[in-house]
Amino acid sequence: MKRFIMAFIAAYIFLFVWGWLVNGVLLKDVYAESARLWRPESEMRSLFHWIIIGQALVVFAFVMLYASGFAGGGVIAGIRLGLLLEIAAIGMRLGFYAVQPIPGKLIFYGSIGGIIEMVIVGAMVGAIYKPASGKAVS
Amino acid sequence: MNWKKFFFAFIAAFVFLFVFGFLWYATLMHDAHREVATLLRPEADLKSYFGWLALGQFVMAFFFTLLCARYIPGGRAGAGAMLGLLVGLVYAGPHLISFAVQPLTFKILFGWIAGAVIQFTIAGAIIGAIYKPATEHIMYVREPSR
Repeated sequence: MKRFIMAFIAAYIFLFVWGWLVNGVLLKDVYAESARLWRPESEMRSLFHWIIIGQALVVFAFVMLYASGFAGGGVIAGIRLGLLLEIAAIGMRLGFYAVQPIPGKLIFYGSIGGIIEMVIVGAMVGAIYKPASGKAVS
Repeated sequence: MNWKKFFFAFIAAFVFLFVFGFLWYATLMHDAHREVATLLRPEADLKSYFGWLALGQFVMAFFFTLLCARYIPGGRAGAGAMLGLLVGLVYAGPHLISFAVQPLTFKILFGWIAGAVIQFTIAGAIIGAIYKPATEHIMYVREPSR
């Protein structure tokens, strides 16, 4: 449980900072090209707690997944889980692209950022979380 | 990896994700989506982007099946459903973030979250029921003779 909490906190901090860096700084101009799709900044600020809850849910479910089926495989198993989840999520992003007029480059850069993000989250969770029973998954 | 069973599980998952997506998001949630029409492509444009939707479902089904095959190498619908539930929750998180940054309604937010959780739970159960490991990966332990 202690390892679970530590992995959750470390991955959450990374996800939060990375999300801000990619979406709030690096892709800011790309988002501005499709301003009509996004809430005004003041509105986003008032709904900021939804971002915190959303990121916490991603990390919590990720650590749960790792702990229940991949734990023991260490960093490599964590990276593998992150990669599989993120590539499947790219499929979901393509679905959004089909129905929303989101710029293609936002989907592209968002997917690259997503892969880096989930690989690092997976590595962190794999390095920190250790199963109690020593069960290993290759 | 039992690639024959993997292929069947993948096809079943792809068909399910596609049909569920159509029923849930395009039919049941159609009116909710029309409330935010400016966020969506015009219906006339959707046909020309259908290939992206199909490709997305294909990628999602393939990698989700791969995840299930690694996570539940022995198969079983229940274990697949559990995996699907957790994956659905991982994907529900970005919907909450989307709600904070896009002018979506609560109805859409809850519809998307429920859709992701139900869709992946059932897809996981389907894959778990179909996928079985290749027999060379099953270990038999010989009992000592009495």
